[in-house]
Order: sequence, then structure tokens, then C-alpha cells
Amino acid sequence: MDIFLTSRIASDVLGGVTNGVIYGLVALSLVLVWRSTGILNFAQGAMPMMATYVGMIAFGHFFGYWICVVIAILVGFLIGAGTERVLVRPLYGKPEINPVVVMVGFLTVLEAVAAAIWSSTPRSLTTPFSPIDFHLGGKPFALSAFSLYQIVTAIVVMVAVAVLFRFTNLGLQLRASALAPEVSRLLGVRVNRMLTLGWTLSTGVGTITAILVSSNFFTGLTPQVMDGIFAFGFIAAAVGGLDSPVGSIVAGVVIGIILQFVGDYVNSNAIILVALFILIVSLMARPNGVFSVVKARRV
Amino acid sequence: MIRVQGLTVAYGAVKALVDVSFEARTSAITAVLGANGAGKTTLLRTISGLKTPVAGSITHDETELTAMKTEDIARMGIAHVPEGRGVIGEFTVEENLRLGALTAKLNAKQSLENQYERFPILGERRRQHADQLSGGERQILSMARALIANPSVLLLDEPSLGLAPLITAQIMATIKDLCASDDLTVILVEQNASSALRIADHAVVLNVGHVVANDVASVVAEDENLRQYYLGMVS
Amino acid sequence: MNRGLSSRRVITTVAAVAAVALSFIVTPSSRDGVALAVLATLTVIGGSVLLSSDLRRAHPVVTRAATSTMAVSVSLVATFFFSSTTNFNLATGAAMAVTLVGLSFLTGVSGQVSLGNGAFMGVGAFAMAIWSNHHSTTPIVVTLLISIVAGALVGLLLGLPATRLRGPYLAGMTLAFAVAFPAILTYFNSWTGGDGGLQLPNAATPPHWLRALYVHGTTSLTSGTLWLTDITLVATGVAFFFMANLFTSRVGRAMRLVRDNEVAAELVGVNLNRARVLAFVVSSSYAALGGALWTFLNNSVTPATYSFALSIVILSVIVIGGIGTIPGALIGGLVYAYSTNVINWITNQTGLNPQGNFASQLNGIIFGGLLIVTMMLAPRGVAGVYYTFRHRRASPGGDVKSPSEETYAEA
Ligand SMILES: Nc1ncnc2c1ncn2[C@@H]1O[C@H](COP(=O)(O)OP(=O)(O)OP(=O)(O)O)[C@@H](O)[C@H]1O
Ligand SMILES: [Mg+2]
Repeated sequence: MDIFLTSRIASDVLGGVTNGVIYGLVALSLVLVWRSTGILNFAQGAMPMMATYVGMIAFGHFFGYWICVVIAILVGFLIGAGTERVLVRPLYGKPEINPVVVMVGFLTVLEAVAAAIWSSTPRSLTTPFSPIDFHLGGKPFALSAFSLYQIVTAIVVMVAVAVLFRFTNLGLQLRASALAPEVSRLLGVRVNRMLTLGWTLSTGVGTITAILVSSNFFTGLTPQVMDGIFAFGFIAAAVGGLDSPVGSIVAGVVIGIILQFVGDYVNSNAIILVALFILIVSLMARPNGVFSVVKARRV
Repeated sequence: MIRVQGLTVAYGAVKALVDVSFEARTSAITAVLGANGAGKTTLLRTISGLKTPVAGSITHDETELTAMKTEDIARMGIAHVPEGRGVIGEFTVEENLRLGALTAKLNAKQSLENQYERFPILGERRRQHADQLSGGERQILSMARALIANPSVLLLDEPSLGLAPLITAQIMATIKDLCASDDLTVILVEQNASSALRIADHAVVLNVGHVVANDVASVVAEDENLRQYYLGMVS
Repeated sequence: MNRGLSSRRVITTVAAVAAVALSFIVTPSSRDGVALAVLATLTVIGGSVLLSSDLRRAHPVVTRAATSTMAVSVSLVATFFFSSTTNFNLATGAAMAVTLVGLSFLTGVSGQVSLGNGAFMGVGAFAMAIWSNHHSTTPIVVTLLISIVAGALVGLLLGLPATRLRGPYLAGMTLAFAVAFPAILTYFNSWTGGDGGLQLPNAATPPHWLRALYVHGTTSLTSGTLWLTDITLVATGVAFFFMANLFTSRVGRAMRLVRDNEVAAELVGVNLNRARVLAFVVSSSYAALGGALWTFLNNSVTPATYSFALSIVILSVIVIGGIGTIPGALIGGLVYAYSTNVINWITNQTGLNPQGNFASQLNGIIFGGLLIVTMMLAPRGVAGVYYTFRHRRASPGGDVKSPSEETYAEA
């Protein structure tokens, strides 16, 4: 058992899951916004990045890690809600490229503003968890206190979102507003509020993700920290199905594991190449997403 | 009671309703009849705030509705069963009903049970997705979803559309019962004039946006002209 | 209509006369006299074609060719007088305009958008450099064509799966490609030269035929870098000529039908998928040509140029110029060429520390902000504003053609 756990294969799987839950979380936040407002939010990485800077760096002078985490998430909620109200609301019903362009513009502004205020130098966040791998029988295996923290947090967030959507009245209204806005309004659901809430939640999930990513000792926090992660998250969401929260999370984890093997056995520059390849092949083979139940996505 | 006065509604330059006035009394069924494109759906959508009128007023027991948001109108107890029923196919029967009960702040469990008692067919299928229901079952579901919040006004847009005569008759009977027992104001939009007139107390006939008759249902039902020209009923 | 024609006539006449006059004044004193004389002749021919309204009506293709010829030869004459910095800026902007007009075509006819055109420029740029390093004798025109083909192939690979889907899949996929592109270059570093990039082997030596065109062997032109600018401008003219025809061709019209009304398009017998893929491939080929021209101009290519940021800048300048329009691409190219100067000017005016964080991020803040503002207030950019304005003046209250229609018809 020890020998297996410290083997190369097991460590790739563990490392893959650790990265994969991050891709899954980004994919989940994309799906939340896509399902509620039909917009692929290209600033889905940058908005949480901004919240993380505000919460973890600006308030980092005054408070400890956990208080900063809470502040960052609250700021994330605010950014999400404010963005939906101000930037996104005028875009409903506009041609498809309008929200794409506006959100790309927002992404650019956020990254530039963050760099203007905090510079592009990576900031390391002090985490309460060590990034050093656990040892088993004197050999390291690819799991650290930090990666456990990351995996557990991701699972908690995913379960919380699932419970909210499946089992609460709020979740029922969120889903109804996305599926049938007019009928929902006829039943007294405040649809506009639900759309704002969808963005709020999604940015909250994104902020938790961004904190995890930038708490990682090896990456740190930079204005561009989420660019690459966003690309992987989009790939996971598209492979799993933009309509399918479960599918996109599963796709995120599976892609995370595959890419860990690629990085280990081929080289790290091949990772994103393979990710693109997976995206191309899966869109060719299953345009609706590997796990999607919705059939209407093809032209 | 719903009172409509001088209502004019337009889609761009095209007027769908012109100076429409009538009253729908409490505990009575008011039928709104007319051919395709007469403006019946537009009337109901304006009452529930989905469409803003150009002129005129709509009041519900002294409350002016035209300036209100759809959500708030619904929360006042005005339930609208839209044309084509509007059940959410991706939801289960129970989820559809829960959605209807949300805003009423009632005991959800109890009101669900009440509806299952009233419409046993829904109880049997509560875990099924609504898009697996038959047309008649969907109609029942959307009625139940409207009724679960104990509305004071019920707006029904062609409940008989696409249903077999027997089911239509059942639905009409249900509407009649509800109206009698619950102090409900019902506005019933129908193409199927004969079955609507059978249960209605009052009838309004629309022709391309104008009111051409506004009278007791039996009078409208007997008027040879109306029957022939506007209601498509062969005597 | 009449007013448009007459103003066109005035401009054309003035341009032709100016070119001829200039060539007479300059020819005796300049070593590049032959070249100038050729340009003047071309201008006059182009001008006379444009002046004949019968020709204009009967042969739109000839008209477009004449317009392109005139525009290119006038700007070539101008390059003789500009400083080499200005020329380099213009050529950089022209190559960018080639990229932009491709993106404009994609959005204009299919309603989709690519966020990866910076990476497609990179494909062309590196294709050009790699090919030249292995086959240094290939004529420049052939190398450019090879780069275009490379762009088309990569575009096909990405476009085939993504364009079949409704929704933002193409945008997302091209963004992933743009983000991935630097890593891809590194992965193939034995070809791409790693971080340092590649140099062109035959640095800045003009081809024989070009030397022959100028006064043989003695010109200031052939020893300088002016010929690089001029070839870039000619290539730009050719690219725009083809694009103008494509916009108004049956294919282009069919694609706009796809964008505006899928059902109608299907009824008319347009193959939706093929139309979308084709539009995307055209846009990536154009981007590749733009990138190849940059490599050609700079005599080298570095991977840092083709980062994700470039793709965003491309999107910004075409949106500012007017996405979906041809003039928008020219405006965008000009904006690109002078954006650095303008931003430096702003930095100086506002007294910002040029080395500071804020000044170095001004670029992103301004471009990102303009993206948002333009999309919210004037989704068709400067070109769109111009068209709307002209329509108001031309027919006050009368029947107004939709600005987009006009935009395409204009070429
Ligand atoms: N969304 C819309 N946009 C433009 N015109 C509309 C719209 N909806 C309805 N109309 C027009 O308004 C008029 C009334 O339509 P309405 O749907 O109210 O008729 P109806 O009486 O419900 O007809 P039916 O019995 O066929 O349901 C028709 O002429 C219709 O074409
Ligand atoms: Mg109707």
C-alpha cells in the first residue's frame, strides 16, 4: 500500500485531483452564470482576482488569514452583484458578441487596475497549511496539508452549491428564473434579483477558487493569475457541458488528472496543448458536452 | 374584482386593444371570447403586467395595476395561467407546485397535499418531470400551480386548447367549482365559445381589439349575430 | 447619391493631379524617379477608372481594384517623404489592419468573434520565419502565401468543432488558444527558437525585381528599409481588395443571411456550418498574413509579441474602429499604430511617472475601458457612428437603410 501511494502513478493522480478541483470550481462558476443569464463570463477569472487582492492584500495588513478570506468572499459577492447590475443588465437580448466584448474589456481593465495598484510582482499569501508533501515510510507522496485544504474546500463548495440548488426554495427560484423567466415572474419570483444573485454566487465561488490558487506557495497572487486557470476552467465547462454543473466538475477533475500525467511524462509545455486537443476532440465527438443532458445546443 | 377601463395596448404601431372596458366580478366567471388575434392574450398579459398599456387603467379592488411589476401583481394574488400552460418541463411536478406556493408564504407541505387531494393524478406523478406529462395533465398541473397560492383572481388563457372534449368539460367543471367555493374572480379566455359560455356568468367579446359585446353570458350565447360573426358557432 | 459621387470625383481628381505633379517635381532630383513615375501612372489609371461612372456601375470589381491601386500608390508616394519612423509605424498599422479586416469579416458576416487573433498572427509570423530559415531563396510572395496557408490550417482545426455550436464556444476556444500560444511556442522550441525567437536569414535585402524597378544599384531606397514598408503596403492593398470583394460577394451575402436569420439561410440552401467555418478560416488566414508581414518588417520574430495581451489589443482596436466594417479595420490599424504615442502623450500631460505602475498599465485601462464604452454606446465603433451620421444628413427622416447594410455595401 505504501509503495503504491508513493508511486509515480498515485502521485500523479493525487496531484491531478488537486489541480482538477480548481478547474472544476472555475467551470462551476462559469456554468452558474451561463445557466442563469446565458452569458459566458470572460471576466470570471479577473473579478475574483480583484476580490482576492482587496481581501487578502489590502486587508492583509490588518487581519489574519481567515478574516481576510471572509472579507475577500464578501468583496467577491459585491463585485459579482455590481457587475450584473451595471455592466451586464444592459446587455441582455443584445447580439452574442456584445457581452463577450464587454466582459473581455472588463477583464482587461481589472487586470490593469490590479497591476497599477499592487504591481505585477507575485504576492505570496501566508496560508495556515504547509505545502510540503506528507511522507509515508520515509518517502513523500503527492499530498500536502495545503492540497488537502484545497480539495476539501472545493468539495464543500460544490456540495453547498448542489444543496442550495436542489433542496432550497431559493435554489428553486434560481433555476426557474434561468429556465423560464416569464413564467417565474407570473408566479411572483423576482427574476431580476435572481439573475443578480446568480452572478453574486458565481463570483463568490470564483473568489474561493482564486484564494486557493493564489494561496498556493508556487504560484502566488498576480493580476494574471487566473488567465490560464480560466482557460482550463472553460475547457472543463465546455467538455462537461456548459449546462451541466455536475458534468463540468467531473470534467474538471478528469482533465486535471490527465494533464498531470502529461506534465509528468511529456513536459509541462505540452499540458495546455493536450488540453486544447481534448477540447477539440470532445466538441467534435459530443458537441453537447460529455455529460450534458440538454440536446439543443447544436445549430 | 377586476375593472378594466379605456385600455389601449399596442405592439409598435399596431394596436392590439382599443379602448377596452369591462368588469370581472368576484365569485363569477367572466369569459373573454374572440377569434384568433382578437387581443385576448394581450388583455391577460396586460392585466398581469407583462405588457404596458398605452392608455387606460386596470384596477383590482381599488389597486391600480398598470404601474406595478409582474412579480408584485402575482404576489397580490392574481394568478395567470399563460397560453400554452407554461409548466417548466425540466422541473418535476412537485417542483412546479412548490414554485407556485413560494410567494404565498403558506405551509408548503399542507398546500401541496391539498392540491394532490384535489387533483389525484398529480399526486401519482409528483416525482415525474413535467415534460413527461400529457397535455391534459400539464393543464391540470398549471391550474394547480396557480391555485396553490390561494389566489383571489385567476386568469386562464385557453385552458381547453388541444384537449379532448371530455377533459375540457372536466376542467370547466373544476373552474366552476373553484369559483363558487373560493370567492375567486375568474377571467376565462377561450376560443371554444360554447364550452366557456356554458359555465360563464358574464361574457366579453373582442373583435380585432374592440369590445363588440359585454353582457350576461346567456344573452351573448343567444345572440344570433354574435354567434355567427364573432364566435364561429353554427346554430 | 449625387453628392457622394461628386465628392468622390473631387478627391480622386485632386489625388491624381497631386501625384502627377509630385512625380514631375521630384523625378529629376530623385534617384527613385522611375518608381515614382510608375506610381503616378498607376494613380492616374486608377483615377480615370473611378471617374467613369459607367465603369463604376458595370464593373464593381474593377472599381474596387482601381480604388485599392489608387490608395496604395498614393500612400507609396507618401512614404518617400515620411521619416523612417513614420513609415515603420504606418506599415505596422497596415499589417495590423489586415488582421483586423479578417476579424471584422468574421464578426460582420457570422456574428461570432475570435479572441485569439493575436495567436493566429503568431502562427503566420512564425510560419514566415521558420520557412525563410529553411528555404532562404523562396520569393517573398510565396513565403507570405505559405504563412497564410499555415494560418488557415490552424484556423480550420480550431474552427471545425467550435463554429458548429451556438453560443460563445468559438470565443472561448480561441481565448484558450491565445492563452496557450506562448506555451505552444515553447513546446516546439526547436523550431521556434525558444524565448529569443528567430531572425530572418536574408536580412533586409530587397529582391532583384524590386531593385530593377528602382534606378539600378544606386538608390537610397534599396539600401534603406523603405522597401519593407512599401511591400507591406502593397500586400495590405491586395488583402483589402480581396476582402472588399468577399464582403459583397455571394458567399459574403449568404453568410450575412446566416448571421441575421438562420432559418431563412437554411431555406435558401446555405450550408450553415460551412459558412461559419469558412468565415473563421478567412479571419485566421488574414491574421496570419498580418503576422507574417510583421516578421517581414522587423526581420525577426519574438514570442513575447504574440501573447494573450495582443489578442485583446486586436479586439479593442477593431471594436473602436468598427467591427464588422472594412473602414473600421483601417481606422483600427491607425489607432494601433499611434496608440503608443498617444498613451505616452497622456502620460506626459498628466505628469505620471512613466516608470510607475500606473503609467505602465494605462494601456490596459484605456483599451479595456474603450471596449466596454464602445460596445455599450456605439457597438459599430467610429465607422458605425460615421455611417449613422451620414445617413441622417443624406435622408432626414426619410427611408433610412440600416447602417450595417451600408457598411457592407461600402468597400
Ligand atoms: N409580441 C407581439 N408582437 C407584435 N404583435 C403581437 C405580439 N403579440 C401579439 N401581437 C398581435 O396582437 C394582436 C392580438 O394578439 P393576441 O395574442 O392578443 O390574440 P389572441 O386573441 O390571444 O389570439 P389567439 O386566439 O390566436 O391566441 C394580433 O394581431 C397579434 O398579431
Ligand atoms: Mg391568445
